[in-house]
Amino acid sequence: MQTDLHLTPLLSLQSITVRGRSQPRLDGVSLQVCAGERVALLGPSGAGKSTLLAVANGLLAPERGRVLWQGEPRARSGRARRRQQARIGTLWQELRLIEELTVQQNLNAARLAVWGWPRALLNLLVPLETQACAAILQRLDLDTSLLNQPVSALSGGQRQRVALARLLRQEPQLLLADEPVASLDPRLAGELLTLLLELASPPRALLLSLHRPDLLAGFDRVLGLRAGRLVFDQPRASLEPAQLEELYAGAPRS
Amino acid sequence: MRPAAPLWVLLPALVVLPLLALLPGMSHGGGWELVGQFAAAALRPSLDPLVLGSVLGGLAVTAGMALLAWAGSLVLGLVLGIASSRVVWRTCFGSSAPASWIRRLLAIPRSIHELLWGLLLLQVVGLQPVVAVVAIAIPFGALVARVVSDLLDALPTASLEALRCSGSSAPAALFTALGPPLLPQVISYSGYRLECALRSATLLGVFGLGGLGTELRLTLQSLAFNELWTGLWLLLAVMLLLEALMGRLRRRWAMPARLGLAQRGVGRQGQEMVAVAMALLPVLAVVAWRLEVHPAALLEWQGLPPLGAADWGAVAALPWPSLIGNTLVLTLVAAALAVGVAPLLLVLVQPWPAAGALVRGLWALGRLWPPPLTALLLLFVLQPGVLTGALALGFHNLGILGRLLLEATETSGGNQEQALLAAGVGPRLALLYGRFSSLARPYLAYGAYRADVILRESVVVGLVGATGLGSQLLEALSSFAGDQLLALVLAYALLTLLGEDLSDRARQWLLETPHGDGHPQEAGGTWR
Repeated sequence: MQTDLHLTPLLSLQSITVRGRSQPRLDGVSLQVCAGERVALLGPSGAGKSTLLAVANGLLAPERGRVLWQGEPRARSGRARRRQQARIGTLWQELRLIEELTVQQNLNAARLAVWGWPRALLNLLVPLETQACAAILQRLDLDTSLLNQPVSALSGGQRQRVALARLLRQEPQLLLADEPVASLDPRLAGELLTLLLELASPPRALLLSLHRPDLLAGFDRVLGLRAGRLVFDQPRASLEPAQLEELYAGAPRS
Repeated sequence: MRPAAPLWVLLPALVVLPLLALLPGMSHGGGWELVGQFAAAALRPSLDPLVLGSVLGGLAVTAGMALLAWAGSLVLGLVLGIASSRVVWRTCFGSSAPASWIRRLLAIPRSIHELLWGLLLLQVVGLQPVVAVVAIAIPFGALVARVVSDLLDALPTASLEALRCSGSSAPAALFTALGPPLLPQVISYSGYRLECALRSATLLGVFGLGGLGTELRLTLQSLAFNELWTGLWLLLAVMLLLEALMGRLRRRWAMPARLGLAQRGVGRQGQEMVAVAMALLPVLAVVAWRLEVHPAALLEWQGLPPLGAADWGAVAALPWPSLIGNTLVLTLVAAALAVGVAPLLLVLVQPWPAAGALVRGLWALGRLWPPPLTALLLLFVLQPGVLTGALALGFHNLGILGRLLLEATETSGGNQEQALLAAGVGPRLALLYGRFSSLARPYLAYGAYRADVILRESVVVGLVGATGLGSQLLEALSSFAGDQLLALVLAYALLTLLGEDLSDRARQWLLETPHGDGHPQEAGGTWR
């Protein structure tokens, strides 16, 4: 069973091109992420990492190329496409929590894709599915008393974990993370990565963008993106330091 | 059980339910055919050169009156605003007490709607082009004064104190320290006032003070719908152009937006702004000359009909509780309609861009279409009364609030909405959760301010009858009952002052951010 899962790609991007102002933001990028894989996406600032993740989660439609989800082309109709998107969770660098709502309402916001209007409205009135939400907080070592706190009252570390909790609440098969450790100190960065790698246990998969090659431990595969082109895609074990140097050489410093 | 922020925005829309239940009872069913003709005529505006000529002439008069009134109100407002600023008094004379007194005095001209000023002046000096200009400039000036003084008093004073300590004179220090941060906010705000002035000038026309408003009312009353639409489309074009121009300038000059969520704060290109202001002066002079606006005409009072001895017994015998009660009901229903329906419509049409454009068009019509004309149109099918008036006022303010909401949704909460969309949430729920959460407080705060404006405006739908103080006032005006008029104007002023106080409190409560990350409230008075 395990091997079967590995054989079916969750997400495939085929010759994806996204135009930019002067040069393409992505230029014929092809890649696959299979269930259970933990993939790091490396590259200097402006290489197109965020664009690639936006194509992956469906926010951005590429000008050319195909996006396949579990072997099926990404649906065109709103409803079917949203059903696919609901299986892809994104951890945003700036977290994008809804400050004015409570932690529980934020967690439940991740269920809106499957909930109908009545529950969506009710969630704004009374706490829904408290047990499920509490279980996720506990799993992330957060106090369940936070459930009724507005997000605006949380500390920085708590927010980070609440964002993770919301990601789990979505029950995604593919986790995307856009530079999740960029603004964290080394200890927190390490903790967060460990947590993400742990959460992305099979059959889930993880695709995470980084610009720090020193944090690659725990990833199965590494992609190198530079100026919108994929320059390498290989197992982490076989990655040479020279490849990393080349990836960052001559790139504008961020 | 406490409703969360996005729900607050939708709750006022519940007022639609009782209205839907009551409307069938209010309709007299007579004029559906007329309403149909009116709607059909939208596609066939009259292109007769004679009609076009008179409409264009009317539009020029209205625009000219608006421009002059606007300029007058800005000058008046700046002077009075500086005169009623606490920080100015404290710096120059050591005490801020006089500022509070001037503020209180200014509340009186502000509380009286420009239509009342217009009709009162009309009685005194007769039909003169200057009447509409002054009628708008007085309450607008008092309003600008309040905003200017609020802005001045909210500016940080550190640099002012530093200048004073180093020995600058009080006026020089004030000008240097507070002038530059004040200017962009005042200019941004004054752009909105120009739009308001155009609406008010049209409205005054409906009541016979000349210009396009008069044309619109005459064509409506003679059921010449095709000619009516000629005027409406032109007005719509001018209004949208003006709004687009103002939006452009605001972006170009990096002006603060009205709901203050995306504070960009600093004004740029100061020289350009000053140049534009300078270029306006000759334009104003030419407009004043062409419209034959003679301020001196204000001094020549016409003979008033003899006022009978005041009959205070009759004044006291007016049905005050029901007059005031009706006015309040009208205000609340109209405010709830405007505040609640705008976000509801946005949510409903979110998935369909074409429907969104339609709603925006409807709002634009609502903004420019003077409420008394809507009221007259509604009378084709509804009986006169409070709700008919409330519908007319609600529609007008829906246009204003809707545009504001749209502007605000374009600048705030985009990240949260995107995050939800990326997770497969439908466009409507993503809008509700993602954008309305952060908008709720500032939007409702603006709604509270709008309710206060609606209370003042309720006089303009007085002509559909039985709408409380407004209709009684118009009646007193036309029957030259000076005693009643005085009592009613006072009652109105008192009521609007109370309303203003109440809406200020509501606004403060809404804008006090519970966890001190301080985003929405800095804009202070700028969104009036």
